[in-house]
Amino acid sequence: MEYYTLSRYAYWKYYVLIFYYKLAEYPKPVRVWLIFGAICMLLLIMIVIGNALRTFSHYRFERLVYHNRERYFERMKTVVSQARTLEPGEITAILELPKNFKMKERQNRSFIPTLLEVRKEMSGSMSRPNWIRLTQALKMPAYFESQILSRNVRKKVQAFKDVADLDATLKEAVASRYLFTKNRKLQMHARLHAARFGTSYPFKVLEEDPNLVFTDEMVVKYHNVLVYRQKNGLTMPNFVRWCNRVPINDELRIFAVNEIRLFKCKEDCAELLAMLETSREEAFSCALIRALGELEYVPAEKEFCRRYLSASFTERQVLAEALGAIGSGNPEVVSFMVDDFLQTTDYVTRMVLLRVVYRYGDIGRQAYEKLKAEATPETQPYFAHIECDLIDSRRYA
Amino acid sequence: MLEWFDTVFSVFVAIYSTIILSSYVTMAILAFMEHRKHYTYHDDAYTIEELKKSPYTPGISIVAPAYNEEKTVITNVKSLLSLDYPDFEVVIVNDGSKDKTLELLIENFDLVKVPYAYVEKIKTKPFRGLYKTKSDNPAFKRLTVVDKVNGGTKADASNAGVNVVSNKFFVCTDVDCVLDQYALYRIIWPTMASTRRVIAVSATMRMSNGSIVEEGKMVDARPPHDLIPLFQDLEYTRSFLIGKTALARINALQNVSGGFGMFDREIVIKAGGYDGDSFAEDMDMVARMIRYMCDAGEDYRIVQIPETCCWTEGPPNLKVLNRQRTRWGRGLFQFYGVHRDMVGNRNYRRYGALTLTYVLFFELLAPVVEMIGYITVVWFILRGAVNYHTIWIAFLGLYIFAQLLTMVIISYDTWVGTSFKRKKDYLWFVLASLLEPIIYHPLNTFFSLRGYWKHIWGTQMVWGNMTRKGVQSVKPTGPKPMAPAAPQSAPEEKKPNA
Repeated sequence: MEYYTLSRYAYWKYYVLIFYYKLAEYPKPVRVWLIFGAICMLLLIMIVIGNALRTFSHYRFERLVYHNRERYFERMKTVVSQARTLEPGEITAILELPKNFKMKERQNRSFIPTLLEVRKEMSGSMSRPNWIRLTQALKMPAYFESQILSRNVRKKVQAFKDVADLDATLKEAVASRYLFTKNRKLQMHARLHAARFGTSYPFKVLEEDPNLVFTDEMVVKYHNVLVYRQKNGLTMPNFVRWCNRVPINDELRIFAVNEIRLFKCKEDCAELLAMLETSREEAFSCALIRALGELEYVPAEKEFCRRYLSASFTERQVLAEALGAIGSGNPEVVSFMVDDFLQTTDYVTRMVLLRVVYRYGDIGRQAYEKLKAEATPETQPYFAHIECDLIDSRRYA
Repeated sequence: MLEWFDTVFSVFVAIYSTIILSSYVTMAILAFMEHRKHYTYHDDAYTIEELKKSPYTPGISIVAPAYNEEKTVITNVKSLLSLDYPDFEVVIVNDGSKDKTLELLIENFDLVKVPYAYVEKIKTKPFRGLYKTKSDNPAFKRLTVVDKVNGGTKADASNAGVNVVSNKFFVCTDVDCVLDQYALYRIIWPTMASTRRVIAVSATMRMSNGSIVEEGKMVDARPPHDLIPLFQDLEYTRSFLIGKTALARINALQNVSGGFGMFDREIVIKAGGYDGDSFAEDMDMVARMIRYMCDAGEDYRIVQIPETCCWTEGPPNLKVLNRQRTRWGRGLFQFYGVHRDMVGNRNYRRYGALTLTYVLFFELLAPVVEMIGYITVVWFILRGAVNYHTIWIAFLGLYIFAQLLTMVIISYDTWVGTSFKRKKDYLWFVLASLLEPIIYHPLNTFFSLRGYWKHIWGTQMVWGNMTRKGVQSVKPTGPKPMAPAAPQSAPEEKKPNA
């Protein structure tokens, strides 16, 4: 018997041909089905391999983070706890970093969790200049720049988040590249970065963007940014300007009114009242009413009473609560709410009115007792509900 | 005639299986895209920090019906009260329990009956009273206990809870579920990040059988080591990480699980609340919410989040599994009877045109087709009309495909990052995957057909008790697990349904 040794190419060709002729034996539908199934499986295999590589890379990264933490955590704490501003050479010596120290992207990234931990632990006693120099010694600003300028959107977004978390420095020119990018999430993070660290007036971009989408997520984040700016003595935006902004964005206007309320800018109340007098949109009006009420702006009472009868149930509830919050002891307000309690049909409005009357000082309590004495079997449970301190204790504590 | 039947049947099976396979691959790809998007833009720790310090963080109400839960109710309510979130309330609905559930709650949380002005926005069985704590403990102040006459279903109890919640969003869960400490942050975030109105959010659920739970908190998530719960864990993971994630990607999610899901209270009330007569009340609720939104011409989104937020105890044996799956089968059949006008209807957008049509052909009718397939193969074998070579290739191909799909699930689970701590635990999934097509799948087919049969012939359905073994608990100081809790009963089980 003769034996032939096949070359590598012929060897593969042999098996491909075997597969082809085996396949050719089957009827056409089966062949199509098998090819289709093979393609499906190939796709699944690709997904599995991709994810496996990602998981493996993540696992290696976690090990690196652990290693860095073990090695540098205490040294980093030593650097940031020094009252005196250290020279870069001193920081390098404390960290025991080699000369001409260069890091790969992965190594830089692995320092972030440790830096965050140091920042969290030393939040009270941290020296800000030493912290900045520490991040510079670890070449973090350069790393963030390279990440933001990379092609990967995830890296860009993550870099913006990390800069905010670490309170690190970043060139304004780099960050401002994405202020008007089409990717909404990236745009939001770039703008948040600008809003957090901008030294001039970083909110201009919000005021001028005609396509601005202002979600609840942005409301939360911008508020936190504003708290940060106030804490660090940076310029605060002019909220009233946002309210009167052109082009109009309702969400931003409502946010501005809410910020006036939360930052207790009582000097803006007169302008808010003027806006309320001309406002027709329910959500914006409710925000204005709530702000004026919580800021206890007594001149607004008259306007509240004027609006009341033509308002929707939701607006009425907000108006009643605002009148209650002002609590000027005005007998007109009480009689007005009592009248509405007797007339309205909406359950929630009735409960709100009754609660406000009950808490509206002596004059309110007298009116409440009178209402209680005249209560019908239908309305009697409302009174017991209002008088019970345990109900809604979480909310009204 | 026979040849004609053979050809038609073969072509039908080829087309049917090709569509199923391609739908699985499409869903795996869509899920991949969704996970990648989530991975790109979502940072769990960052989100939690932002929400923690913001006064704008919306409040959430947790509604948890309880029926004869005296064995675990205290631990589980304490666990719910200890969740990390700035503003939430826990509403426990005692659905006319016959044991000491209510008495234990009153005793342990220092509760008193308060004169609450109850308004029945959604019709339920009579309300008996509402209890609040008189204790100064701020955590206890978050607790509200509603007592009502037993309605026989979780739907009725949930509706009573919805009637008293005070927040815009409420989470519907069960008292026996173990929630992740940060579950509320995760589930509220999509409602805030979306530019469209999010009416419901679904989160990933897993089996708690085999896991270690301490004081109602998940300490160590492990795969179940018993076959039946293990199969279900694999099924849940597949359903949430591929099926539901893919459907949510195209805004066509058909079900938010009754075990853990968040809903917009206003839309739920306008849609009429849960249907007490439905055996698939969670799927029915979502359908009615979508119907309401589409009829009103409003835009909406239903979101699925990949992180595991809730662990539930699955049926531990065949008997309970049979009862559960029979009811689910019946519920699905009933659902299509009630919402038949939505199927293939483009007025209900992708949900009606795509999802309901897909579920009709490849979930509702799949057990029927499968049973016909079994019978026909036996008949072909008896006639000697089987090409064994082809049939083995087909079986092998499908088997390998199923294994690959499991690999995809495992890879997604590790990617999402809320999975088992020990990677070797995934070997249990591989084992389940190897056995599933042979053992679990035929059983499920049989149970579903039984459900359809019962629905068609109108057999009286008894909800029955769900026998629970209890999850493993450990003492805070000792590593050794304690003996499992005594069996208890619950009105119903949770359904992944995708």
